[in-house]
Amino acid sequence: MGLSELLSTYGQDYLTALLTTWWMTTVTFAFVMVLSIAITVMRVSPLRPLRVVGDFYVQVFRNIPGVALLIIIVYALPNLRLVLDYTTCVIVTVILMGSAFGSENFMSGINTIGVGQIEAARSLGMTFGQIIWKIVIPQALRSAVLPMTNLLIAVMLSTSLGSQVPMSPDELTGIVSYINTRSTGGILAFLIAAIGYAGTAAVIAFIGNRLDKKVRILR
Amino acid sequence: MSNHAKPLSIRDALYEQPGPRTRRRVAIGTAITAVLVIVGIGLIIRQFYITGQLAPRYWTFLAQPTTWRFLLQGFRGTISVALAAGVIALVLGAVLMLGRTSGIKPVAAVCRVVTDFFRGVPSLLLIYFFFLVVPQYGIRLSSFWMITLPVALAASGVLAEVLRAGVNAVPRGQVEAALSLGMRPGRIMMKIVLPQAIRFVIPSLISQLVVVVKDTTLAYVVSYPDLMQNARVLITNYDALVSMYFTVAVVYILVNFAINKLSALVAERLGVKIIR
Repeated sequence: MGLSELLSTYGQDYLTALLTTWWMTTVTFAFVMVLSIAITVMRVSPLRPLRVVGDFYVQVFRNIPGVALLIIIVYALPNLRLVLDYTTCVIVTVILMGSAFGSENFMSGINTIGVGQIEAARSLGMTFGQIIWKIVIPQALRSAVLPMTNLLIAVMLSTSLGSQVPMSPDELTGIVSYINTRSTGGILAFLIAAIGYAGTAAVIAFIGNRLDKKVRILR
Repeated sequence: MSNHAKPLSIRDALYEQPGPRTRRRVAIGTAITAVLVIVGIGLIIRQFYITGQLAPRYWTFLAQPTTWRFLLQGFRGTISVALAAGVIALVLGAVLMLGRTSGIKPVAAVCRVVTDFFRGVPSLLLIYFFFLVVPQYGIRLSSFWMITLPVALAASGVLAEVLRAGVNAVPRGQVEAALSLGMRPGRIMMKIVLPQAIRFVIPSLISQLVVVVKDTTLAYVVSYPDLMQNARVLITNYDALVSMYFTVAVVYILVNFAINKLSALVAERLGVKIIR
């Protein structure tokens, strides 16, 4: 199949698939950020049970293979009487995994600050709230820009798990599988989707690098 | 210097030495959250119970040695794919990194595009490429290679970047010193830069193995008998979906947890940071 034939037959499908991947990525990443912050707050709180649960959450979801988690959510949860539609299942899977990595990024951002700064702030008479808002959060956010850019790309790549469940409309990996089971799309059918992914990743990385250069703290 | 022991982590450094009132508050908060956590766990177990998932028929097959023998067989498949993919990815990643830092412009540009391509494409798409597209050109691959090659390609892009970070971490002055001694660039790379760079990135290379192990779980797409695929076979045999998937998930989590711990341990031993 030539490029023009491929595009005239499936062009619209590709476009829909790319847009589906984009919106899934956006929605998922928004939830990932919120959940990462919540988990990180739990992990630095003085309450031990919350710390333990936060650490456990991160260890479980950063180590579980995506497809294993997806299968549990799709097939096992209905047995526990919790039924979600397929697209939601994929999004929930990626949110759970992504937030574990997001929290790790925030934690290492916090860890770069250094105990000395906190002690200095305290000896200046700053309150706990001031230390958190004026010293910890601004620095943790700044040094998390680059890791979060990489996480956003990883989230986009993980939405390809959508090809493992019947989704409608298909996302970008699902559409390649769909086209190739209907006709011989050849290497082009694959390349169009691959460029969609790699191009988006390149744009995200470019913006992330620019942002990081602007806000990075040189030590 | 303070007279109390230095706080171990920033987590603890955030808080002052608590006074009696704060200590009481923390104790109450700890008690409340502990109860909430226990209630939460209880609710999950209750959901398992009332939906009948705790019934012995779903769990007894885990006590049979044949179950574990079959799963172990699958695990062997997982290991062989992960190791083969890891070795191929390491070689390919090294080639891409050497090309990119070679200083020959066209070679560097090609290596950069290839690296970014494999980093920016999901491994599932690469698997479909080897599973659906490659056979269209009359190339017959065994299911082992249909899973190993895409996993290796996806990892090679990341490894190239990890190795490059290691090369960049070697002080520039050493290269300049070697150049002024009249060493040629290739020799400098092999004798001075690479030996140090590899030491810097060993922990990161180990932790990248987690990504490879995760990707091998997609082997069922090409019907290669890895741990996941064998678990699926057992599920149809025993009709025990929830318990089987939970067991397999726990195995994967423990394996990856161990790899991460090993990476952190090696990093501490070598005194280097883990680059991600």
